[in-house]
Amino acid sequence: MSAAPGSVGWLLRHELRMAWYNAAGGKDKGGAARRRPGNSTIGLMVLVWLVLHVVAWIAVRSLAGLGSGDPRILLLVSAVLLVVLTFMLSTAIKSSVLVMFERSDLDLLLSSPLPSRSIFTVRLLRVTLAAAALYLVLLAPFAHAGLALGQWRWIGIYPGVLALAVLCACAAMLLTLGLVRMLGARRTRVVGQILGALAGAFLFLVSQAFSLSSRDAQGQAREFAIALVRQDSVLAADSLLWMPARAVLGEPVAMLVMVLLACAVFMLTARFTHRYFAHGLQQAASSGRAPAAVKGTLRHRFGRSLFQTVVIKEWRLTARDPQLVSQVLLQLLYLLPLAFLVFRNAELQVQAIGAGLVLLCSSLGGALAWIALSAEDAPDLLAASPASAHTVRRAKLAAAVMPVLALVAAPLLWLVWRSPLAGLVTCVTVSCAVFGAGLVVFWCGRPAQRSNFKVRGKGGFVMNMLELGNSLAWAALAWLLGGATVAPMSGLAMLGAAGALFGALLVLLAAWLMRRPRV
Amino acid sequence: MTHTAALRLAGLTKHFGRPAVDGLDLTVRRGEFYALLGPNGAGKTTTLRLVTGLLAPDRGSIEVLGIDMTTAPAAAKAKLAYLPDDPMLYDKLKPFEYLEFVAGLWGVRAEAAEPRARELLDWLDLTRHAHELTEGFSRGMKQKLALAGALIHDPELLILDEPLTGLDAGAARQVKDLLLAHVAKGGTVILTTHILEVAERLAQRIGIIRQGRLIAEGSLDELRAQSQGGSLEDVFLHLTATP
Repeated sequence: MSAAPGSVGWLLRHELRMAWYNAAGGKDKGGAARRRPGNSTIGLMVLVWLVLHVVAWIAVRSLAGLGSGDPRILLLVSAVLLVVLTFMLSTAIKSSVLVMFERSDLDLLLSSPLPSRSIFTVRLLRVTLAAAALYLVLLAPFAHAGLALGQWRWIGIYPGVLALAVLCACAAMLLTLGLVRMLGARRTRVVGQILGALAGAFLFLVSQAFSLSSRDAQGQAREFAIALVRQDSVLAADSLLWMPARAVLGEPVAMLVMVLLACAVFMLTARFTHRYFAHGLQQAASSGRAPAAVKGTLRHRFGRSLFQTVVIKEWRLTARDPQLVSQVLLQLLYLLPLAFLVFRNAELQVQAIGAGLVLLCSSLGGALAWIALSAEDAPDLLAASPASAHTVRRAKLAAAVMPVLALVAAPLLWLVWRSPLAGLVTCVTVSCAVFGAGLVVFWCGRPAQRSNFKVRGKGGFVMNMLELGNSLAWAALAWLLGGATVAPMSGLAMLGAAGALFGALLVLLAAWLMRRPRV
Repeated sequence: MTHTAALRLAGLTKHFGRPAVDGLDLTVRRGEFYALLGPNGAGKTTTLRLVTGLLAPDRGSIEVLGIDMTTAPAAAKAKLAYLPDDPMLYDKLKPFEYLEFVAGLWGVRAEAAEPRARELLDWLDLTRHAHELTEGFSRGMKQKLALAGALIHDPELLILDEPLTGLDAGAARQVKDLLLAHVAKGGTVILTTHILEVAERLAQRIGIIRQGRLIAEGSLDELRAQSQGGSLEDVFLHLTATP
């Protein structure tokens, strides 16, 4: 029986169908947009899921002797849920921003006679599903393994994960709507994106900060954690904070409480905030059309050379797109712990700093090169002009490479001052890695739109692999040569350095051989 | 040199699975306002993209002001400007910055480009938006700025694909005036349009293509004579009717 047209169920079916089409992501061999993921993709996913079931079966069987009230299993499940929760919140924030700003069908829906509450409810469900999907896929095998082994309590994974996803989706949507009210639509896109990335990286950064902190600080952190779980504290065994873990472990009362809580929060959010959603959408729709004046006097200079003209244009376009800049910089979030290394010990960690800077800069260089070279907004304007295509592309490459080198100049100078030889080695490897990343995009980059920056990996698997190979090869070389500046190099290290250099050159050769023909 | 045609196409052919442009022969004289008409999918845009060097022909030759587009594309492109139906702009640039960039691509010297940019923006009523990024511009403002970009290097041949689509009456008048002024100065304009009244009022000669071939050409009176009179609309419908 199908849902009545215009009902929440009908709209939800449409949303799910669109999500399924989007999951296909790309084009078939004939160049037409795919309507669903390919059979090989589905087959691979099923295979991975079956392997997960085997892993889950082994894990659940080994935990058979432990009751759900056992502090060890509570702690383990809570730790897993904490990780899941941060990633879920990250996904939910990104999805909320997406449904608010980046869905092209909202004009159609809002101009239809459908009540805004129905539209909001379905969008909230969509955010919930986006938040829950991955974790249901990853954790459901444990529920199934539990059923197979006669441990019914593991079935609590389903309501537990879904309840957490609902809570995350509601929190994310409320946060996004609040940001729109406070900051306006234009800034919310950027701030929401940053918050989403920070939420996702939060635990990683905390864990890295912990492992890189001093022994004293680690000891204090441990004492603080122990104090928290003492009998009379907020994290005592009977604390409400263990409720999600208890629900996932199938305790009926905890499960019921979590489900009721999620339903109540969902209904209250849908009932009381759908008007703000409509208002937020109106603001989002008008923000793109409002005149966007750039502060300051008019600065333009005619008569520059073609090279300078292209470089200045690329810098202007990138610098004026805070959303793009934040997307680029957020990619580097996971390399942030590198900064801790510099301050960790009095002794300089030359190898780690050199390799880390190479990874950071080549990643940044590759991203900027993609923006400048592949994501040209007006390719026909360039193609229809008499300007030399080679000069234009070289200028774009320079526009991508120069800011990275300027950004890394200060830490490199500091390194040269502290340890001249190591500093020089790092200067060379960083420069080569950045140019290498740029050249890979220069030769192999496919035309794309700037708005597709986040999914640029889907556009060119080979290019991404070459970029990765370039980064790793130069990072390995930086590591090995950095080591040689503080201690004599072993035969194996020499061999490794030669191999890394050969690998880096091989990547460039492969990129050149696979270069795309230019019109 | 004054006898050189502004554009000469001979046997121009381009296939996309099926022929989009099929052995097209066409000559546009210097200082002429030429309208290229045809039903949807007739090959108008493909022809313009071939002429401007955005597509490579499968067969045939393209001469722009006596310069072969296939052997000397840069020299040919230096003399023309192309304005597609979807303006080629950058959302994050301001009008002067956009014109500065386009002038840089065509290598226009500063002393010529700067006053020309001011003149064009004034003429098209865009000077008061000089502080704004183009992302906030209306369709008409974007089209006008793209036209200013096309005219910044004072091209001898101006090629426009549906330049008046989506413009209000005021903006359309400004664009038409600018095009007529360009022809009055000795420039050549080739445009495609679905607004037959525009072709009727502005063009000195009209070419009608169907399935990538030129099926009729001449002044409005000549075309009328070919199809037993009536308005351009009658002539167009008569000539493009499926046999």
